[in-house]
Amino acid sequence: MGRKRKKIKIFPIVNYALFILIALMIMVPIWKVIVDSLDAVGVYQFRFWPNKPTLKGYEVILTTKALFRPFVNSIISTVLGTLLGLILSTLGGYVLIQFDMPGRNFFSYMILFTMIFSGGMIPEYLVMKQLGLVNNLMVVVLKHGMNVYNLVLMRNFFEGIPQGLFEAARIDGCSPMGIFFKIVLPLSKAALASIGLMFAVGAWNDYTTVKIYITDPDQTNFQYKLRNLIMDGDTPNTQYAIAQNTLFNAAVMSAIIPFMIVYPFLQKYFVKGVNIGAVKE
Amino acid sequence: MKKKLLSILLATAMVATMAGCGDKTPADSSSASSSVADTQATAPAEPYNLETLTMVVNGTLTASVENRQDAFEEQWEAAVSEKIGHKIDLVIQQQDHSGYVDAVGRIFAGGDLPDVILMSADMYAQYAPTGILWDMTEAYENAEFQSRIELKSVNEAMKIDGKLYGFAPATGNGCVTWVKKSWMDAVGVKAEDITNWDAYYDMLTKFTTEDPDGNGKNDTYGVAAAGFVGFEAPYINYLPEFWQDAYPAFVQDDNGVWYDGFNTDATKQALLRLQKAYNDGVIDPESLTMGTKDVRTKYWSADQAGSFGAFTYWAGKWEQTVYDNFETNGVNTELVTLAPLAEVGAYLNREAPVWCIIDDGDGDNSREQAVFDAFIETMLDGDTVQMLWTYGAEGVHWSTAAETVTLKGKDGKEDTVKEYTEGQFHLLPSPNDPTTAWKSNAIDPSLVIAPLTNGISSVTDIAAKGNIFFSEHSVQAPKSASSETLTNEGGTLNDLKTEVITEVVTKNGDVDQWMSYYDEQSKSLVETILAELNQ
Amino acid sequence: MSKKKAAGTAKVHKKPLGIRIWNNRGFYVMLLPVLVFLIIMHYWPMLGIRYAFYDYKPVGEPVFVGMKHFNKLFSAPPFWTAFWNTLELSIIKLVITTVASVVVSILLNEMGNLLAKKILQTVIYLPHFMSWVVTASIFSLFLSPSATGMVNGMLRDWGILTDDMKNIYFLGDSHWWRPVYYVINIWKETGWGTIVSLATLSGINPELYEAADIDGATRFQKMRYVTLPALANTIITVLILNLAKVMNLFESVFVLYNDAVRDVSDVVATYIYRQTFMVALPNYGYSTAVGLFRSLVGCILVLVCNWLSKKVRGRGIV
Repeated sequence: MGRKRKKIKIFPIVNYALFILIALMIMVPIWKVIVDSLDAVGVYQFRFWPNKPTLKGYEVILTTKALFRPFVNSIISTVLGTLLGLILSTLGGYVLIQFDMPGRNFFSYMILFTMIFSGGMIPEYLVMKQLGLVNNLMVVVLKHGMNVYNLVLMRNFFEGIPQGLFEAARIDGCSPMGIFFKIVLPLSKAALASIGLMFAVGAWNDYTTVKIYITDPDQTNFQYKLRNLIMDGDTPNTQYAIAQNTLFNAAVMSAIIPFMIVYPFLQKYFVKGVNIGAVKE
Repeated sequence: MKKKLLSILLATAMVATMAGCGDKTPADSSSASSSVADTQATAPAEPYNLETLTMVVNGTLTASVENRQDAFEEQWEAAVSEKIGHKIDLVIQQQDHSGYVDAVGRIFAGGDLPDVILMSADMYAQYAPTGILWDMTEAYENAEFQSRIELKSVNEAMKIDGKLYGFAPATGNGCVTWVKKSWMDAVGVKAEDITNWDAYYDMLTKFTTEDPDGNGKNDTYGVAAAGFVGFEAPYINYLPEFWQDAYPAFVQDDNGVWYDGFNTDATKQALLRLQKAYNDGVIDPESLTMGTKDVRTKYWSADQAGSFGAFTYWAGKWEQTVYDNFETNGVNTELVTLAPLAEVGAYLNREAPVWCIIDDGDGDNSREQAVFDAFIETMLDGDTVQMLWTYGAEGVHWSTAAETVTLKGKDGKEDTVKEYTEGQFHLLPSPNDPTTAWKSNAIDPSLVIAPLTNGISSVTDIAAKGNIFFSEHSVQAPKSASSETLTNEGGTLNDLKTEVITEVVTKNGDVDQWMSYYDEQSKSLVETILAELNQ
Repeated sequence: MSKKKAAGTAKVHKKPLGIRIWNNRGFYVMLLPVLVFLIIMHYWPMLGIRYAFYDYKPVGEPVFVGMKHFNKLFSAPPFWTAFWNTLELSIIKLVITTVASVVVSILLNEMGNLLAKKILQTVIYLPHFMSWVVTASIFSLFLSPSATGMVNGMLRDWGILTDDMKNIYFLGDSHWWRPVYYVINIWKETGWGTIVSLATLSGINPELYEAADIDGATRFQKMRYVTLPALANTIITVLILNLAKVMNLFESVFVLYNDAVRDVSDVVATYIYRQTFMVALPNYGYSTAVGLFRSLVGCILVLVCNWLSKKVRGRGIV
């Protein structure tokens, strides 16, 4: 008995020590970005505190009018992309666990096939053009909404739901739609939160879709604008009221901060046993 | 298992059948522009009535949307409408500076052809033979601005078999070498003594070993660059002092015969110089991995430990940018621009980007001529429109009104206030940065081939001085070779070259051994390319 | 579950196909939106795969050229170096970041203090939001061989590097490049990888742990017999799904590699990038052919692993 107690005491200490180390290793490189974003002078080397602290980098980003519209666009495309993504991946994932459904295998492979094979950039561009999606923010929503990888993951989570629950519901006369809303979704809060997060971050971080499909400044998103802000360093005429390096790093941080604000609200879904609790309610 | 296989087959068959249905050929290139032509080509004898003009441009049009492009567009439309006698609508499609080649490819593949498009020398060389670019030789020869062109050679150099498919309003610019004055003073070197390689190398060595930044540590370098050789022509422009007379690409000799400039003794000597500098620690070893942005940040870093003294970069605007960054970062030094070393002779002027007119392929030149008249002819009118291209919109980017201009101070420093009298040309604060004055728009006033005739110039700032210095000390870079095999296999040759360079420079490889390795590996490819070039 | 289906006897008792389809009509309707999007967004553009056998440039009509692009690709020796590098780098990277994220998520799951857990979760996700360009410039700075390089400085302070030794050029030395590449990948993607595992862990029935406690299981026994098996399905699914993308490896290598380490770092995508760098008039046929080749490799990897997964544990990912 005594031996066992000793073990339990040691483990948390080791665990905490390990995580402090991990956190440090993760934070040191990011610290460089944070310090640089708060320093009025551009320094190539690493240092722990800004030479000349300033919030000017963030101020420029907040007050640059050209960034406000893209920020709104980013929020719109992230919200819509996540909603569409969750709808399609839950519907698809749910249907794909219906092992008695004729054609299930065919549909599975048909879906999986698109994850591996693609028509390439130009055919995709021409299709989007025919659909009127070039220079249209909705292209970001659609590109991220239809994500096969996430669909298969979702299916995988659904598969973990005890089959008995489905049977019981069917006997009670529940329709497929009823089971979906009454059993599948409430039981998959953690899955919805994590996959929703993956959809959201994917859409939020999107740069390539915008780069390929959108040239109209009114339709671009925040991430794209920030990258251009950074790349502007290659065209010397574009100057902002702040050292390039400061702006650059403030831009990097600005793309992370919205996530840091939203994430804590999702965290409660990552707690042990959250799904099981839902069944008992 | 059989069932799974069947499913896969079905899914594949589905794609196949869809493919079988066949969609329209997407590269139906003429349809978009010819539809415009169809409606307009009612009376071919009369001058073509061009109502809209679509242009595609990269980041060099500095009057971007954020920088009041609307004002530029509006004033251009007003001025050009007046000149051509009817209303014209300008549509600007500004693409990203990076990835411009891909964006242009998509525009063409998508079939929405613009009227005019800006192309780099590389793009020009490859697009011209396709017949999509209009042969503007005649229009160019008869242009009103012909008599005022001072640098005729610029567009002459762009001719392919005597035909001009694109127009360069300015020369291409190039790189010059700057040295930190404070560092020179610290190690006791005088700028006027740096006239040859030995003196230059001696200076670099002192920068490395004699602690020019005075922090008590030997942590500085003589020189740094983004790579030992550049990706784009003129490849040697970031380290001209090391490459000297070597040019590691296909070049023409005095008789116009092409040869491989890499496989020469000059290149071998250049590699030996680089090898020595790398071994001596005079060249920042990170030159191997750094990009241009890293090099710049390192050069003007507020903490000069790890920085370097001599920096070769684009003349003109960039010099101003380096000064601006020195100021923001509190780096207390001036820049000395080095005249080309005796062994270097002259800096290299790169091939200029050109404006091309799209040929709609209907055999009738009236629309293309109208585009030329509205767009290119007016661009160098010496007055109103040229001002728009050079400095931007009046009252927004520049002005001649009697007024007080306030440049906001950076970081709580005092504002700079200047008074101007009526008729005195001055640049206004940048639309997106009230602390700096606007510099210029798409055409650099000191690089333009036909200067303004209205007497306006702003040749007082660092950038303009730098450009003049450059034009006095530069020659046109060797003409780039262009052949089909070179386009397709150029990557393979480049890989081979960079392999030899890194092996010799960073791994102390034996130069003779590696040069013969290059010779062996490249022989058949080089022969094919030379045959194509010299036919 | 698939076990049900696999049972051969089930087939005999099955109702006629028509009735089974009718019984499942609700599901077909639910799948319809997915199929519509799938066809518009993926299958329609897939018509373009045929261009792999064409010369297709921005200007002019596509011209059929048969296997030309594939012949060109396969005949270059550097391509095969790049091909094997791609497989090695991608797969090792995939395996070690997955293992790392599973370990981290299990340990995170064991953490008692909720606040610490929440803060840690947020911190470990952060690197995922840094673009590769930024990541590369920060790590190049830390790993710099110059006198200001932090890692080299530390090695000197600790006496690992002695005075007569040169600073290590981590990113410019073939011996060091790959380990460094893996470390940077672990740094950047481990945290993000924990999302899926943590969601799975939160689905484990607490009663299982309670039962294990009653049986007197130690903490490690619980991890081994309760937590890990619950995670296995998710981990394997994620691994196999990621195999489809193995050949797409580009940006992380592109920002970190250089000419001196090309032998160990060049991957198919970077090789193609250099090959087409001078091409101002792109041939989309060639890039489509490369894409098709990548897809085929991904397809083979997925099918093989799916088959293996079925052999070993009786189930695949679909």
